[in-house]
Amino acid sequence: MRNDSEPKRWLGPIVRLAAIAIGAGLILAFPASVDNPYMLTVGIGILNYAVLATAWNFVGGFTGYISLGHGALSGLGAYATGLLITVAGLPSFVALFIATALVAVLAIPIGAAALRVRGASFVIVSIALVLILLLVFQSWASLTGGSRGFVVPRPFPELRRAEHHMVFFYLFAGLLAAALLVWWVIDRSRFGLGLKAIREDEDKSEALGIPTFAGKLVAFVVSAAFTGLAGGLYALWFGDLDPVFQFSVLTGSTMVLMALLGGVRHLFGPLLGAVVVGSGLEYFKLEYGDTPLHLVGTGLLLFGVVMFVPEGVIPALSGLFNRLFAPRETSIREVTAAALAESRRREGEADR
Amino acid sequence: MALFVQSLVLGVLLGGLYALLAAGLTLYFGVMRVVMIAHSAFLILASYLAWYFHRETGLDPLLSLPITIPLFFAAGFAMQRLLLSRLRPATRTMMSVLLTFSIALIIEGLLGYIFTGTQRRIQLGYSGASLELFGARVAVVKLIAFALAAAALLALYLVMMKSKLGQALRATIQHPEAARLVGIQTDRIAGYGFGLGLATASVGGTALALDSTIYPSLHWHWIGPLMAIIVVGGLGSVPGTAIAAMVLGMLMSLLQIPLGTTWAQTVFYLALFATLAVRPQGFFGGRLAKRF
Amino acid sequence: MSAIAASSSHDRSRSLETVDLTRSFGGVTAVSSATVSFRHGKVNGLIGPNGSGKTTLFNCVTGMIKPDSGRVTYRGNDITGNAPHRIARAGIGRSFQLCRVFPRMTVLDNLLVATRATDLKAQLGSARDRDGIDRARGWLARMGIDHLENAEARNLSWGQQKLLELAGVLMGDPETILLDEPAGGVNPALIGRIGTLVRQLNAEGKTFIIVEHNMDMVMSICDHIIVFDRGRPIAEGPPAMIRSDPRVLEAYLGV
Repeated sequence: MRNDSEPKRWLGPIVRLAAIAIGAGLILAFPASVDNPYMLTVGIGILNYAVLATAWNFVGGFTGYISLGHGALSGLGAYATGLLITVAGLPSFVALFIATALVAVLAIPIGAAALRVRGASFVIVSIALVLILLLVFQSWASLTGGSRGFVVPRPFPELRRAEHHMVFFYLFAGLLAAALLVWWVIDRSRFGLGLKAIREDEDKSEALGIPTFAGKLVAFVVSAAFTGLAGGLYALWFGDLDPVFQFSVLTGSTMVLMALLGGVRHLFGPLLGAVVVGSGLEYFKLEYGDTPLHLVGTGLLLFGVVMFVPEGVIPALSGLFNRLFAPRETSIREVTAAALAESRRREGEADR
Repeated sequence: MALFVQSLVLGVLLGGLYALLAAGLTLYFGVMRVVMIAHSAFLILASYLAWYFHRETGLDPLLSLPITIPLFFAAGFAMQRLLLSRLRPATRTMMSVLLTFSIALIIEGLLGYIFTGTQRRIQLGYSGASLELFGARVAVVKLIAFALAAAALLALYLVMMKSKLGQALRATIQHPEAARLVGIQTDRIAGYGFGLGLATASVGGTALALDSTIYPSLHWHWIGPLMAIIVVGGLGSVPGTAIAAMVLGMLMSLLQIPLGTTWAQTVFYLALFATLAVRPQGFFGGRLAKRF
Repeated sequence: MSAIAASSSHDRSRSLETVDLTRSFGGVTAVSSATVSFRHGKVNGLIGPNGSGKTTLFNCVTGMIKPDSGRVTYRGNDITGNAPHRIARAGIGRSFQLCRVFPRMTVLDNLLVATRATDLKAQLGSARDRDGIDRARGWLARMGIDHLENAEARNLSWGQQKLLELAGVLMGDPETILLDEPAGGVNPALIGRIGTLVRQLNAEGKTFIIVEHNMDMVMSICDHIIVFDRGRPIAEGPPAMIRSDPRVLEAYLGV
C-alpha cells in the first residue's frame, strides 16, 4: 500500500493472528467449560453449520453463484455414509471418506450441468436438485427407510453420551479448521483471483483467458466435498436421518443466510454467521418451543440481511472500526478524489 | 383405455391449473428478472384465506375472490415498489431469490402459527359430486377449478394484449430501455406486473383450495414444478409457460398410471434438466423468452 | 462480391482471417458471408455504418458467439467456435465497446487477473506475486494511471477505465489486439494518447484491429482499413484510398 500506514504494517497481521489464536483457544476449551451435554450438542450444531456455510462459500463467495441446493450434497453425504456402513459393512470412518469421495465425483456431472446456466436458472436448478432428491429418498423407502428414518450405527458404541459428543465436537472443529484453511489458500491464490473475476464479470474474465467453466467446476467440487463430508460426519454423530431434514431447501438457505450475514467475501464470515444464527435458532427453540415461529425468525433475519446488510456484518463492522479508530486511512472515495485531481493535472500536462 | 382417457382429461384440467399458477411466476421474471419464490407461498396463503372465509361465513369460497384479488394485487404492487426495487440492479436476481425466499418462510411460519399444522380441507355441498365428461368421471370441483383458471388466464390474456397497461407491460418485458425511451414508467409498470402476478396467485390458490388438502408447508410441493414449468416454457413468456404447463400437466397425469403419483412428479424435474441441457432458453417461448 | 483490392501481398501465415462468416439474430443477418483477412503486424481499421456487423464479427472471432457458418482462422489454425478463453490464450485480446472492467476489484487486481500461469503450482500460488505486480505496475505507469493502483475500478472515470481495460488486455501479452470503439465517449486529449499508444505498441510488434467511428483517429493511426456494410466487407485499402472511395461514402450516407 502506498498510503501513510508504514509503521502500522506489521500490527495488522499480528492482531489478526492473535484474534485467530484466541478464537481457536475458545473453541478448543469449550467442551471442558460446559457442564451439561445439551450445550455441547448446541456447540456441535453450530460447528456443523459453520462447516456447511464455509463449504458453501467456496461457490457463493468466490464465484458469486448462489446455490440454494447445497442441502442435496450434505444429504447425499449423510445417506451415503449410512448406507456404506449398513449395507456394505464398512467401518464408520472408511465409509465417511468413501462417501465424501462419492459426493465429490457426483458433483462433477451435477456441476457441469448446473454451471452451464447462470443467475436465476442456476438457483432454480439448485432448488430442483434438492426437491428431486427429497422425492427420491422419500419414495425409495426400501433402501433409505423413507420417512420412517434411517438409523446410522454409532462409530464408538462404547462411549457414553457426553464423551461421544466431546469426540465429535473436536472432529467437527478439525473439519472446520481444514475447510477454513483450504478457503484461505484459495482466497489468496491466483485461482481464487480468477474465481473472483468470474463473480465480477464472467464474460470479461473469459475474454481475458480465464477458463471460467473449469474454474467454477473445481470450486463446486471442492465445495461439494466439504459439504458431503460434513453431512457424513453429522450422520455418524446424530445417528438418525430423515429425508425431510436432510434434503431441505430450508437447511440450504440457512447456510446461505449464515454466509451472507457474516460476509461472503471474508474467511470467517460464514463462521460468524453460523455462531449468530445458530445461537439465535437455539434460543428460539428454547423460548418458543418447536413452533413454526422459528421459520418466521429465520425469514426475518434473512430479510434483514438482504435489505439492510447485503455485504454482511464483517464489512459493516470493519467499516465502522476504520472510521472510529483509523481515520487517517481515508476511504477509497477520498483516495480517488485526490488521485483524480492528480491524474487531471497529468492529463493537462500531457496536452502541452 | 378408459383409464387412459380419464388420465388425459384430468391432465388437461391439471395443466390448466398449472398454467395459471405458473403464469404469474413467469410474469415476475419477465418484468423484473426476479425469481419470486414466495409465489407458491402466497398461493397457499390464498388457499388458507379461502378456507377461512368459508369456515367463518359458510359461503362458497369463490365469493372471497372479490376481496382477495384486490388485496393480493395491492400486496404485489407494494412488494415490488417497496422491497424489490430497493435491491441493487447488479445483484438483483440473486438477492431477489433470497428476499422472496425469506418472505415465503415468514408466510409459512405465520400460517403454521396461526392455523397450526393441522391439514385443512374445504367441504362443500358439491365436493363429492362428479360429472361424466368424454367418457371420464370428473369431479365437479376439478372442473370448477379449471374453469376458474381458464377464466383468469383469459382475463390475463385480454389485459396483456388489449389494454394499455398490457401494452406497457409487454414493452417493459421485451426491452426496458426502449420502453423508458418512449415514456413508459417502467418502475410503476413493474409494480403493476407484480400486482397482476399475485392476483393470479389469489385466484389459483382459491381454485386449489376447492380440491386439495392444505397445510403450511404445501408451497414446497408446488414451487419445484412451477419453476420447472417456467424454465421449460421460457422465462418471461406467458404463452410459453401456458403451453409448457399443459404439456407437463398431461404428461404427469398420464405417467401416474404406470409410476404412481410420487414418481410421476419427477417428470417436472427431468423436463427442467433436459431443457437446461438442450435449450436453456426454453422450448415454447420463442423470441420473448429470456436466457437465465 | 465486388473486387476487393487485394493489392499488396501481406504475410497471411500469421494473420487473423474469416472465411464466409455468417451470423444471424432472429431474422436479422448481422454478418453475411464475410471473408476478411486482417494485415498482420499492422494497425487495421474496421469501419462502417452502425449495424454493419463489426461488433458481431468481433464476437464471432473471439468466441463469444458461434457463427452460423463459415470459419475463423488465426496463424493458419481454425479457431472457429473455440471457447473465448482458449482464443485469448492463443494470443488474441480484445476490449469491449462498453468498457468492461472488474468494478469491485482494485486497479492492480484487475491487471493481476490476466496473468497466464496454468499449472497447479502457479494456480495455488499467491495471486499477488512480485513478478506480476511489477509487470502490472509497468503497464499502469505506461497508461498514466499507476497512482490509482489501489482504487476500486468502479470509482475511476470513464477514460481511466478505458485505459485500465486496455492495460488488462496488454497484461496477457497478446499478439493481436481487437479494440472495439476505443475512442467512444472519451475526450480528445485522451483519444490522442490512446492513438499514440496504439502506434507505439504496433511498433513493438503488436497487430491491431480497431472498430471505430472517429474518422480522424482511424485515418491517422491505421495502416489498412476495411469497410463493412450490411454484414460484409465492401472495400479495403490504405486510408487515402478509402477516404475517397465512392462506395464508402454511399454506405455511410445511405441509399
